[in-house]
Formats: sequence, C-alpha cells, structure tokens
Amino acid sequence: MLVLTRKVDECITIGDNIVVKVLGIESTQVKLGIDAPGRVRVLRQEVYEKIRDENIRSARRQAAAFVQAAGLFKTKEKIKGSEE
Amino acid sequence: MKLETRDFGQIDIDEDRVITMPAGMPGFPEAQHFIILDREETRPFLWYQCVDDPGLAFVIINPNLFQPDYSLDLGAILREMSWNGDREEDLAVYAIVNASEGIPEKITANLIGPLVINTRKKEAAQMVITGSPYSHKQPVFQPI
Repeated sequence: MLVLTRKVDECITIGDNIVVKVLGIESTQVKLGIDAPGRVRVLRQEVYEKIRDENIRSARRQAAAFVQAAGLFKTKEKIKGSEE
Repeated sequence: MKLETRDFGQIDIDEDRVITMPAGMPGFPEAQHFIILDREETRPFLWYQCVDDPGLAFVIINPNLFQPDYSLDLGAILREMSWNGDREEDLAVYAIVNASEGIPEKITANLIGPLVINTRKKEAAQMVITGSPYSHKQPVFQPI
C-alpha cells in the first residue's frame, strides 16, 4: 500500500481525473472531498461491501425458494382480493 | 440468439432486449450484459441472467410490489448517469433479491442498491442510495 502524508487542504490525484482532498481533521476523523467523473463509483467501504455481499447472495442458485415465494405472493393477492 | 442460462437451460432470446452494464455490479465487475427473464413459475420475481456468463443470474423484483412508497430521485439518476435526453419514464427500477436461507418467507430485497435500467438506451447501473430509510435486507413478506 502506498502511504502518503498530507495536510489539510492538500490533495492527492489518482489517474488523470480523480482528486482526493483532505478538508479537515478532527480527533479521530478525517473529512475528505473527492472529485471524480460521474461514472466512477465512490462509496464508503462498508456500504460497498453490503451491496456486494447482497449481490453475491442473490447470485446463488435458489430457484426452488422463488417458486414457493411466488406462491406466497399469489396467496397474498387472493387474500387482498377477497377482502375488497 | 440462443442463450445458455443457469436455471432454464438453453433459451431463445431477442438480442434487442440485452441490457448493458458498463460498470458491472459490485462483486461482478466483468459481467456487463444481461437479460431479464420473466418465468411464469416465479413471477413476480424476475431473473436477471448474465449473457456473458451462463452461470450467473440474479433475482430481481419491482420494489413497489411490497413497498408501495419506495421511490428514487430519478431526475438525479438521469443526471448522475449522464443519460441526457432520456426521461424519468424511460427508467425501470428493480431491487435485487436474495433467499440465502432458502426459506421463502425470509426473502429480502436490497433497497439501498437498486438496479436502474434505462429502457431506451438498454443500459443499466446499480445505484447506491445514501441516507435511505430502507435496508439492504428489506423483508419482502411482512410478518402477518
């Protein structure tokens, strides 16, 4: 891992069009400003990991559960329909 | 064109329905072409089958079927994606679903990482919604 030391208001650049700026430091927190093209995904790591993990779980083979779940939906619709 | 699918064997698909995801999806950056399969036996759950990799398929659902109030700022998404000239009506929103426990009642949908498809451009992206009141594991079936 590349390790750099920066002061407040100093930046690092990544490639040609990503700039990360240190906006402020307060006790154990660092506030960063990030300029990147719209198509570059910039996320807090824990959010990225949540989304990635849900994608991985969704990609598992699980057709049988969804056939049953589709049945639950239809039952729900019928109950709703009979209440009206 | 013929497509090999994970769950339904070889099927015939219309090439015009192939959706491109230039950025892939978190965890699957290489998977960039998908098609939606609507199978009667699992409806309203739909299959987001990868065209590049027959072994990869996700399950998706229209989130409004179980969260009627769920909505996204589609105008902001059009701007963020530089989908200039397209309208909010051109966007379709799906939630990625998982049944990792194999129990239908425990199926959850990821409402902070919706799949947004530009139906006109045939292009899609998985968005990340920050500050959402919803969860990445939103139950699809509310306990009765």
